[in-house]
Amino acid sequence: MTPIALIAIMIGVPAVLLLAYVFIRGSAGLRHYILTRIALTLPMVFILATLVFFVMRILPGDPVRSALGPKGSPELIQQIREQLGLNDPMIVQYARFLGDMVTLDFGNSLIGGHRPIVDEMSERFPATLELVIPASILALLLGIWGGTFAASRRKRTADYLWRIYSVVIYSLPIFWLGLIMQLVFGIQFGWLPISGRIDPIIGTTIEHITNLYAVDALITGNWAALGSVLQHLILPTVTLGLILSGVFVRMTRINVIETLQADYIAAARARGIRERVLVYGHALKNAMIPVITLIGLQVAILLAGAVLTETVFSWPGMGRYLVERISSRDYTAVQSVITVFALLVALISLAVDVIYSLVDPRVRY
Amino acid sequence: MKSTKWFLVTSLLIVASMILGACGPAATPTVAPPAATEPPAASTPADTIIIGTTDTIASFDPADAYAVRDWEIIKNINEGLIKWKPGTSDQLVPALATDMPVISEDGLTYTFTLKDGIKFGDGTDLTAQIYADSINRLLTIGPDCPNGVAGALATPYVESASAPDAKTLVITLKQPVAYFLQILASATYTPANPNTFPADECLLFPEAPIYGTGPWFVSQYTQNEQIVFEPNPYYTGDLKPQVKQIIVRQFADPQTEALALQNGEIDIAWRFLGYELFGQLKDVAGIKAETINGGSIRYLILNHTMAPMDDPNVVKAIASAIDRNEISDTVYGGQVNPLYSMVPPGFLGATEIFDTMYASPNLDKAKEFLAASGYTEANPLQLEMWYPPEHYGAETAAWMQVIQKQLEATGAIKVTLQAQEWSTYVTALTGGESYAVGVLGWFFDYPDPSNYLEPFVYNGGEGTNVSLAAEGSDYGEPINETAQNLVDLLSQAAVETDLTKRADLYKQAQEVYAELVVTLPLFYNPEYIVYRDNIHGADQFGTPETLNIAGTIEFNYALLSKTP
Repeated sequence: MTPIALIAIMIGVPAVLLLAYVFIRGSAGLRHYILTRIALTLPMVFILATLVFFVMRILPGDPVRSALGPKGSPELIQQIREQLGLNDPMIVQYARFLGDMVTLDFGNSLIGGHRPIVDEMSERFPATLELVIPASILALLLGIWGGTFAASRRKRTADYLWRIYSVVIYSLPIFWLGLIMQLVFGIQFGWLPISGRIDPIIGTTIEHITNLYAVDALITGNWAALGSVLQHLILPTVTLGLILSGVFVRMTRINVIETLQADYIAAARARGIRERVLVYGHALKNAMIPVITLIGLQVAILLAGAVLTETVFSWPGMGRYLVERISSRDYTAVQSVITVFALLVALISLAVDVIYSLVDPRVRY
Repeated sequence: MKSTKWFLVTSLLIVASMILGACGPAATPTVAPPAATEPPAASTPADTIIIGTTDTIASFDPADAYAVRDWEIIKNINEGLIKWKPGTSDQLVPALATDMPVISEDGLTYTFTLKDGIKFGDGTDLTAQIYADSINRLLTIGPDCPNGVAGALATPYVESASAPDAKTLVITLKQPVAYFLQILASATYTPANPNTFPADECLLFPEAPIYGTGPWFVSQYTQNEQIVFEPNPYYTGDLKPQVKQIIVRQFADPQTEALALQNGEIDIAWRFLGYELFGQLKDVAGIKAETINGGSIRYLILNHTMAPMDDPNVVKAIASAIDRNEISDTVYGGQVNPLYSMVPPGFLGATEIFDTMYASPNLDKAKEFLAASGYTEANPLQLEMWYPPEHYGAETAAWMQVIQKQLEATGAIKVTLQAQEWSTYVTALTGGESYAVGVLGWFFDYPDPSNYLEPFVYNGGEGTNVSLAAEGSDYGEPINETAQNLVDLLSQAAVETDLTKRADLYKQAQEVYAELVVTLPLFYNPEYIVYRDNIHGADQFGTPETLNIAGTIEFNYALLSKTP
């Protein structure tokens, strides 16, 4: 089984179980809503993939010429275009593309070794996942806790400091923050590695099962590799997580402040419930709906942020892959990556909508 | 209370990861804070050398690979019949062959005798038949491989290869080729292991381990991350590995590569740091930074069939107005060298003909040429110049602006600069139908002047159109008598085996080339090698200070050693 299939199972099975649980236990309205969303997702992905297919081909530039540079003879260029099917009529190429999409084959890359896109994604996608999952967790923990803390101390020093933090961190260019992290914690203090996913020498000992190095190291009990992976994760994760946390601080703060002014909070306060319980136990939970919405919306931004983080930290993930392949006009790679990203965003968006009903029973579909 | 718990959990996770990391082998840097200009002590183990690069690999197959990085990898795992003596760029020596070849009188057959006991890293004997099969594989399946090396370096020259006996290899050429030995020393003519590379198709990325006949084999390969080399147990040549392991790490960004060198994560930074990072690193204590005068050049492609470049006065005016020293000084801080012929200094027959002929910058002469075609301050020449903003480095835009200023200083040229991303740009420029003027870079396939002249003249000439592509012709249709003269000189030089006569032919060809201003050479780039001071080259070969890398840009990992 390929790493990408393993990851699809790791993500897909819990997602399907969650959906099944909600589908069975939820109301008829919720069931109808889930079915409608799934039915809408497929044409949405289809339209997006079609748009990408045609836009890539309308753009000037040629993948074969780009790869060969000035040294490719016209005969060789024609020969390779023929081999890759790029000389076929557009409609034939489109039909082939749709066939590949339906079978989740994605075809072969048009540049380099013309490797299967699935193989290339197997190497790249886990790297991005390993970066964005801890970064998201960090952003959420820091953002929600910071926002709630600021709200509970409204118009006091802590509140002002968190507000300044949220604006400053959100406005920092991610590559600049990454570079500063590298200079301070890598070069100046020498505490942390500044590039790559794992120490090169320890990397030779890791078994590639899922290509999620932390998971692979855990499964095989390779503790040195696990330590090295976690060390290498710190700077890119913190960089990406910090940048994303700013917007969560602001969103959480404003919603908790609003909730704290509600009558039921005043009533609870009058009953003598401790302030900490009021804030974190009652107000925060009720303020979470907009924050959860934001999580769904942030997925696309997270993937965009990953592009820059991956470049700064030489992290071989999907973001870098997409940028490289757009500039070399690797049509099949770009179409496939965007389709996968679209599916991912649609799935997470659906999951977020479903989670509303679990977090807040008042939400009805 | 809950928030306190979360904070504790997060803190514990971070601390735990630090502890786990510290428990691993001392391969990652866990050293004391360095001074601002002093890097931490080397933290990679003494028996391993880690080389960082931003260069990517496109193919491991000798019948397909056609890039500097690919050849570097292949030549470290494979030796061929002959090779460049390490540290030199003009001395070919036998490698798998017992001696240099016996060349027939008509210059068509090259006969080699293989050394005894040559094996691939997996224990397979290298026989003359296997070697002949490998060359014939290059000729038969090579043209179908995607990177196109066979069409450039094999099929135009080689008819076939045969093995009369187990030790004798005969290569037959289609016509005499004066520089065939230089071509033969390339990675393309190293033997493909028959157990790895199938006879009927090219295989760009075989599964590791990848065994050849060279000092190393690839024991592991992780796409986009690293390639691990270990000593070939069957290697009997003169380049014995000095360390247990070489790891080549891939970086996305040269800035990160430079920081990793300072941080002790890598020992050597090689291709492509760029002159700014090189300048910063050379002042850092504990790091050595050297330059190698390689063959990477930059030049303007002038399309001779498109207005206004179809006017000989215009191309000569541009050749007269350019100040190459100003480009080097203002954009590169003097780190690049002005280039006055397409053939860089040091190559056979290299001249400085553009300097002799145009003595640029010579604005008066440029104005005269322009006036002869009716271009004056009142009626300036409108010129659109194209360039790729990223492909040759971010400095490209800066030196194009310098050229714009220099041309406009004539008062009779108005330049519009147009940037276009690479994939669109290269198609349009070399197609010879879209851009009148553009920028290109070149790096030789084999170190010979022919490789710096012929590609820009024959069959469209990368968009110069001095000889139009013609079906069934090796040279194309020259656009005028001067171009015909140039084609004749180059084709004569290609088969001339007497070095003195050949050099003379190339001198004449460069003169005609400059008269036509086929392209306009601008400058040549050095390569930068930056390494920690506990890494050493081999003293018995040339240029140990550049880790024995010379003008051929061949990097023999086997010559690297490391002091703890």
